Amino acid sequence: MQQSTAPVVQPPCQNECPIHQDARGYLAAIARGEFDRALEVVRETNPLPIICATICSHPCENKCRRGKVDLPLSIRALKRVAVEQGKSPPPAKPKAQRSQKVAVIGSGPAGLTAAHDLAHLGYSVTILERDAAPGGAMTNFVPIYRLPREWIKRDIDAITALGVTIKTNHELGKNVTIADLKKQGFNAILLAMGLPVSRTPGVPGENSEGVMLALPFLRSVNQEGYRLPPDKMVIVVGGGNVAIDVARSALRAGAAGVRMVCLEAPHEMPASPWEVEEAKEEGIDINCSWGPKQIIVRNGKLGVLECKKVKSVFDAQGRFNPSFYEEQCTLIEGDIIIMAIGQGSDLKMLPDMGVNLNERKQLVFDAKTMTTSQEGVFACGEVTTGPGSAVRAMSTGRRAALAIDGYLKGEKVVFTEPLPLGELAPEVVNGVKRIERNVVPAQDPALRVKNFNIADLGYDAVLGLKEARRCLNCGNGAHLIEEKCIACLTCVRVCPYNVPVTRNGKVDIRVDQCQACGICVAECPVNAIGFRMPGVEDIPQRIETAMKGSKQELGFYCSYDSYYLRGVNTQGMIGIPCLAKIDTKHLLKAFELGAERAFLAGCMDADCPFTGNLEWAQRRVDTVNSLLKDAGLGEGRVKMLKVEPDQFKNLTQLVAAAFQPKEAPKG
Amino acid sequence: MIKATHKRLERINEMIAPHSEVLVLGCETCTGICLVGGEKEVARMAANLRLLNRKNGGKKTFTEGVVRRQCEMEFLDGAASLINDADAVVSLACGVGMQAIAEHFPNMPVYPGNNTAFLGLSPELGLFSERCVACGDCLIDRTGGLCPIARCAKHLFNGPCGGSVAGKCEVSPDVPCIWQMIVDRMMRLGQLSKLEDIKGIRNWKTNDAVGPRAYIREDLRSTPPKLDSVVMKPVAPKGGAA
Amino acid sequence: MSNGYKAGTRLEKILAAGKFAVTAEVGPPKGTDPEPVRKKGEKMKSACDALNVTDNQTAIVRLCSLAGCALLKQVGAEPLMQIVCRDRNRIAIQSDVLGAISLGVGNFLCLSGDHQKFGNHPTAKNVFDIDSIQLIQTLKMMRDEKKFICGEDISGNTPMFIGAAENPFADPFEFRVVRLAKKIKAGADFIQTQAVYDVPKFARWMKMVCDRGLDKQVHILAGVIPIRTSGAARYMQTSVPGVAVPDEIVKRMKAAEDKGGADKKLKAEYGREEGIKLTLELIEQVKQIPGVHGVHLMAVGWEEAVPGILEKAGLLPRPAVEAG
Ligand SMILES: Cc1cc2nc3c(=O)[nH]c(=O)nc-3n(C[C@H](O)[C@H](O)[C@H](O)COP(=O)(O)OP(=O)(O)OC[C@H]3O[C@@H](n4cnc5c(N)ncnc54)[C@H](O)[C@@H]3O)c2cc1C
Ligand code: SF4
Ligand code: SF4
Repeated sequence: MQQSTAPVVQPPCQNECPIHQDARGYLAAIARGEFDRALEVVRETNPLPIICATICSHPCENKCRRGKVDLPLSIRALKRVAVEQGKSPPPAKPKAQRSQKVAVIGSGPAGLTAAHDLAHLGYSVTILERDAAPGGAMTNFVPIYRLPREWIKRDIDAITALGVTIKTNHELGKNVTIADLKKQGFNAILLAMGLPVSRTPGVPGENSEGVMLALPFLRSVNQEGYRLPPDKMVIVVGGGNVAIDVARSALRAGAAGVRMVCLEAPHEMPASPWEVEEAKEEGIDINCSWGPKQIIVRNGKLGVLECKKVKSVFDAQGRFNPSFYEEQCTLIEGDIIIMAIGQGSDLKMLPDMGVNLNERKQLVFDAKTMTTSQEGVFACGEVTTGPGSAVRAMSTGRRAALAIDGYLKGEKVVFTEPLPLGELAPEVVNGVKRIERNVVPAQDPALRVKNFNIADLGYDAVLGLKEARRCLNCGNGAHLIEEKCIACLTCVRVCPYNVPVTRNGKVDIRVDQCQACGICVAECPVNAIGFRMPGVEDIPQRIETAMKGSKQELGFYCSYDSYYLRGVNTQGMIGIPCLAKIDTKHLLKAFELGAERAFLAGCMDADCPFTGNLEWAQRRVDTVNSLLKDAGLGEGRVKMLKVEPDQFKNLTQLVAAAFQPKEAPKG
Repeated sequence: MIKATHKRLERINEMIAPHSEVLVLGCETCTGICLVGGEKEVARMAANLRLLNRKNGGKKTFTEGVVRRQCEMEFLDGAASLINDADAVVSLACGVGMQAIAEHFPNMPVYPGNNTAFLGLSPELGLFSERCVACGDCLIDRTGGLCPIARCAKHLFNGPCGGSVAGKCEVSPDVPCIWQMIVDRMMRLGQLSKLEDIKGIRNWKTNDAVGPRAYIREDLRSTPPKLDSVVMKPVAPKGGAA
Repeated sequence: MSNGYKAGTRLEKILAAGKFAVTAEVGPPKGTDPEPVRKKGEKMKSACDALNVTDNQTAIVRLCSLAGCALLKQVGAEPLMQIVCRDRNRIAIQSDVLGAISLGVGNFLCLSGDHQKFGNHPTAKNVFDIDSIQLIQTLKMMRDEKKFICGEDISGNTPMFIGAAENPFADPFEFRVVRLAKKIKAGADFIQTQAVYDVPKFARWMKMVCDRGLDKQVHILAGVIPIRTSGAARYMQTSVPGVAVPDEIVKRMKAAEDKGGADKKLKAEYGREEGIKLTLELIEQVKQIPGVHGVHLMAVGWEEAVPGILEKAGLLPRPAVEAG
């Protein structure tokens, strides 16, 4: 894989995504109802599309620029629309194979991603997994009500279909050593062993009966169907996502009630806000700013967790270093305590195999090269980064694959980080239409705590389409073709968002600010504005193709509504990503090529995400009609139709009615 | 800059009646900027002419071209083969560009596709308005930088006529009285007293009193130019009629 | 002139003598018949000190003001020739002035001219080679230096009493006095103002004029337009550029007409009566304003009422002036 040195500029969603998925690209495809295409785009960069569509922590949404306008796009839920509605297969494995073999230790998101990428690079890959089922934390720990296990299997099957062998029940240090693997002909070994061990706080009483650890608890609920004894009050210690998963799993496993205790104040909790919200919806009680002091056993049975008030969680340097008001204490009653205060690695076997750990028992690792202390042994995933998200683990897996590829080819690999597009300027934000975010449907909290079915129901196709239209298409719109620009300032004046500006006597269409509405493209008098989004620059060719069959009538429709148009035969019609991208010259061209009449079928104003687009489309229709009329070439030959979504099926009749000669008023 | 509008299509169609290969030639400078001369306008005009011609059963062909500035011979040379391949040119430049073609291509008929309107500006999208008549002797130093010759319906030099009411010109309530604007501005600039001086009878030689005008930049020439117009000299300062 | 007068016209002498002057307007016909002008001249000559002949007023083509003045002369009335800058350049204007002097015309009024847009040839090209102030300058130069604009000599005598118009009701209000001063500086001997209806505003303007001492440098004749109907009042209020008719006047005319009830004739009569009353009041009021040296009656199409009005205003008979 060739690494270019010039940093690539990406929309912030894509840039913030650790594996830089083209969110804008699949959102645009969904917005046009092209679900197969959407899945294809997802698959281009994501080897675990279903897992990510379901449980990804979606950092993309935090940076989504619509967040400056109203609320970010629901990107993860839209990926789920792509995987649920799209039918495109994963990219086929390459024909050219390489002779070298790579062994990957651990089948979590990091190991799977590395294996997938290495397979695509032509290597033969074997994953060794110590558990009985592959998937790492996804399979072992992520609760079933968030990620059904068959879904994980579908992602993993796609990877084994590439020829990747997964050997389960194979533990490094137990069944096999690094030296063995090298002897077996593996040219590189990748450690992707994750953080499989739950940490404990070290308070008196923590070894009592009735005290459990998060990971074993989750594993037994998920994998073995463990259920709690009846009428037990559960206390969960910890404020991260894992603690939330534990708490919510405990409810479903039959707890009478769940109380969470964490060091952090509400705004400091490491858990994602939406996870906290969902837990509260389910009736979980969260006690913030308390630290465990001791576990008191009463009558031989667990009874009380004594806590002390937290003074601060972080020290002046911002490091995790809690301090307490030792004298301010409280007692929290419960029958079972589950410790969910963090995960750690299990690497004790490595030094013996010649892979060094540092004094804190962490892997000696160089993130620039993804290498460990032993030649040919690489590492990735949480074992190298500490706890984080699946997608971050995946990104390190991808890096490791590239590093191994370089190593095996004897090439030096330099990783360049792409840059994000700039922030939206306030004057641009002002011009953007506010559109409410579509709430992702979920099971009713009262019902969902009683089962392990997936809580999050996801958008259906229609809702997905609607949500995807909110995307601002950051950086995918207009750009100036400088040598053609005559600085007439039309774009500067027509843009509803003040994107084009004048700078040093020239026009500058700020690519990073453009909302891709297309008004300026069609108004530029010298064709000096190019457009990145597909489906715009090729309009003339599409008209030519459409007019080949000597048609009488040419129809243009807003391709953002193609979903609704499915019921209609759009064959021979031309889909435009919003009708304001149609130029008068396009319409005249259709007439030149023999059309007798033309129509533009668009959305209702309320459905159009752009500002003023339908008005501009209408103006162009009027202009062409008046040009034709002035030339004695007939009246009203172009019609603009604003169609209610549920009326698309009647498009043919609507068009016919529009062209029906108006009856002369009687009398 | 020069502002222009399209001529009506039927008029253009009449002009080109005797010709069979017509070039629609645009200009990317003034008329491009006032949205009647650029590539897209050329395409639109040509498409419309084609449609009209087809409807009338004609067999004319229409080609399209644009030059950076139609009023420059060098740019016209760049389009020479396009021009020579046609048997008539419909120009979407201003009157200057059209005549440059007529002069530079002695045997090529050239027809105006535009009406050259005036020298003006576009204060906002879709609005073009007059500011200057190129009179050749700018006097706006005494009128606060606003021109009463171009913008007063009576070209008055010495203040508003009796029809100026509430800031509007007597010819239309849409037109601001430029003299009101001049007085307001001079007041703001603290130069109102300048308006008390009588601007004397002016020399119109710099305008149109002498026929076509020319001027020479001696510093840029070593040989005397071939003249086709009357050379203008800067106007000598002259007070009002004593 | 050797006798100390600039032109020695009756108007000039009346004003020079410090008497209250009276002028009135005569509109020439849209045709070739000389009689209407002559008749109006006959009727008004003894009531007025000079009769203005308009120059294609409101840009409607009429018999030219030069010929109109000549016709008035034929019946022994004293003409005042109006000249607008709209239709003629400096060559034509100077030539007309020579002709007018040769026919014995001595009073001239220099005007910009209504825009052709309002007339019956709105597609005409206007001239405005010189503006009204420059026209005053031109006449003054022709008279005092006996030279044309180009500097060449004029042969023969060039007696002229030069007038200009001013509209105290147009905007910018403060600038109107400056413009008056410019006209005086350019050479205006007398001023005829636009019709006065808003007397307080006129008085304010006159005060500004007097404060600048301009009333000592020029004779100001207040313009008065007698109104016949409330409709005419309203028309003038809304449609004539630069004329300011207060609402009360329209209301007053309307109330008078209403006294006639449904009877059209009676209505018209009451209207006329009230119009004359109003005119008399206006004349009386402007007479009292310091610096006003006369009135100028513009009774377009109602010229026959002028002598009666002047009679009632006590301005008749006109004072005698020395001959010569
Ligand atoms: C309860 C829970 C919920 C989470 N929820 C989310 C979520 O919603 N969204 C999100 O993005 N992230 C979530 N995460 C984090 C996410 O699971 C991890 O970031 C990710 O799985 C790390 O991937 P990895 O490949 O580095 O390690 P892992 O997924 O931990 O995989 C490591 C694998 O290596 C195997 N292994 C370990 N040692 C050996 C050995 N010696 N020999 C062979 N195999 C070995 C392990 O069995 C395991 O299968 C969650 C984590 C937990 C614990
Ligand atoms: S608006 Fe669309 S392209 Fe822009 S950051 Fe959000 S999802 Fe990405
Ligand atoms: S495409 Fe729309 S948003 Fe982008 S610059 Fe053009 S007019 Fe502005």
